[in-house]
Amino acid sequence: MIQLTDIKKMLNEQGYITDDAVAMSLYLSIQLSKPLLVEGPAGVGKTEIAKVMAKALQTDMIRLQCYEGLDATHALYEWNYQRQLLHLKMVEHNNESVGDKEKTIFSDAFLMKRPLLQAITHDKRPVLLIDEIDRSDEEFESFLLEVLSDWQITIPEIGTIKATNIPQVILTGNRTRELSEALRRRCLYLYIDYPEFEKEWLIVKSKVPEIDNKLGEQICSFMQELRKLQLEKTPGVAETLDWALALSGLHIDHLDKTIIEQTLGVVLKDWRDTRHVQMSLSELMEKTGIISKIG
Amino acid sequence: MLITRQTSLSKNIVQFCRYLRQKGFVLGVQDEATALEALTFIDYSNRDIFRLALKSVLCKTKSQLQEFEQLFNSYWKQIGEAVDSKVKTVREQVLKPKDKDASFKSLKAWLNGNKNDEEEKVASYSSNESLSKKNFANIPDDEIDELLRLIKALSKKLAAKAGRRYEKSNKINLPDLRRTLRRNMRRGGELLELAYRNPKRNRTKLVLICDVSRSMELYAGFLLQFMYAFQHVYRRVETFAFSTSLHHITALLRQNDFHDALKILSNKNEGWNGGTRIGKSLHEFVQEFAPRVIDKKTIVIMMSDGWDAGDTELLKESMERIHKICRKLIWLNPLAGYEDYKPQVAGMRAALPFTDIFAAVHNAESLKRLGNWL
Repeated sequence: MIQLTDIKKMLNEQGYITDDAVAMSLYLSIQLSKPLLVEGPAGVGKTEIAKVMAKALQTDMIRLQCYEGLDATHALYEWNYQRQLLHLKMVEHNNESVGDKEKTIFSDAFLMKRPLLQAITHDKRPVLLIDEIDRSDEEFESFLLEVLSDWQITIPEIGTIKATNIPQVILTGNRTRELSEALRRRCLYLYIDYPEFEKEWLIVKSKVPEIDNKLGEQICSFMQELRKLQLEKTPGVAETLDWALALSGLHIDHLDKTIIEQTLGVVLKDWRDTRHVQMSLSELMEKTGIISKIG
Repeated sequence: MLITRQTSLSKNIVQFCRYLRQKGFVLGVQDEATALEALTFIDYSNRDIFRLALKSVLCKTKSQLQEFEQLFNSYWKQIGEAVDSKVKTVREQVLKPKDKDASFKSLKAWLNGNKNDEEEKVASYSSNESLSKKNFANIPDDEIDELLRLIKALSKKLAAKAGRRYEKSNKINLPDLRRTLRRNMRRGGELLELAYRNPKRNRTKLVLICDVSRSMELYAGFLLQFMYAFQHVYRRVETFAFSTSLHHITALLRQNDFHDALKILSNKNEGWNGGTRIGKSLHEFVQEFAPRVIDKKTIVIMMSDGWDAGDTELLKESMERIHKICRKLIWLNPLAGYEDYKPQVAGMRAALPFTDIFAAVHNAESLKRLGNWL
């Protein structure tokens, strides 16, 4: 049986720097076989959790990316129509009865499994990542609820397929839409926020080990200040890592105004944000201690 | 097994869940069971682990996560104290909202068409005060039927937009292979009879935000009726009311009879019928709700006279933000019904640049025109 300390150890081994709340949620989600709903701003490693979990449990991760208009044919299964038609052409002159033909073309071989069906028919208990669930529409959400509670899928032509193993489910969301009460109740809930300076610095150190200490600390404190500004798209940890990787790749050992201006595009992805930061760059640098206040 | 052995612990968990429920957590029996089950997997003698486990099982939203620490501490502190002083049972203090009789009365007064014409109760900056009474003193109760008819027509109109999902169709358009194949099986798979599908039509989402402050007293009853009626005939509506702070009233209006809803509202909201802080309230809206309730298909309807006692800069910022993420921003101003109305209040002037449509709302007739813009 898996222990709480094992989870922490596994997360650490996979290079995922985290706190006790995350470990506890993952642990209980595994033990109680309950889906885990992870919310938080973009780029804080929500999706990463599922990947790390799959690695830690030594199983596969199956991912369902949600978007508006996602429906059963993309999430569950679809018949391979082209193949079905070809098959019918091929057996046109056989004396098979229509019933038999039908049985053949509506069989496993002509079925295209989509993520949800894949997940419940998988040999080893997989990690099922339902990414950005809030982007799908309400219709899909209620459909998903049904699957998540019954763990079976009914295909009219074949019958009901029961889960061989109940997958370990992780749902992520950005709070772009309010999720239904019913879905929330079925899940354990975890909110991941932007990391504090110390944690972010640890993450940078573990992912970009070759980085200069001074540069790394400067980058992290600059990012902390950046997130306090009112930006259209607040940069996440992913951006911090990109920036750290880029700058250390350029063999830079400290930040200065020119370097920041030249590489700001790694961190900010909106031109208004870029302009905003450029305007208040000196102030930002003062706050982070990169340049000391003059006079 | 463990659960039965630890009866006092399990009793406490159930009590704690009850305590959380009083604090607004939505917890079912299922959640209590899950919490107890979770305890069997952890070392609950460690207080931190115990807290984390309960937190991860019992919290369902971000705000609950934030409240949890404090609630947890205060509850278990109370328990500790009770055990220390050998008191057997702990009665949590139930914070019952006091019955705000006065404000309910005035709400009722709006609803019944402001039969009490007490001058001093009407606070308005406008010199056209008497005119407004003419418009609104005589809203008959049965106008709600007329209103419902109007709103039904509106919601039909809203239903006419194409979406990304598909539905079956008899019009010749995109082929629906699944249904085609099914239909033609009896012919041995020769495709003679084709089936089609069409983009499914999408319904526009609506967000209604109503000003219920002092200066809007005359209109708020009518507007709340409007919101209530809308909520009942059209599914995709989110409703908010504000005076000094913002209140999400969708669930309240949906679940209750109109009079009950008003009663609950007036009990709950202390700032009700008070001064106006549009800027602050809208800012709250932007921070708390906007990303969740507004998308590119949403039409936002503000109903206010624009009379703001707070920060107009904040109002401007929030309006800009909302305008940017929604499809259309409509501002309905009850005062705009007067012939010589000019938007001179600072708040209104700040909001106008971000308003797609600025119009009057002073009677059912003006609501009819709303249909042209949706």
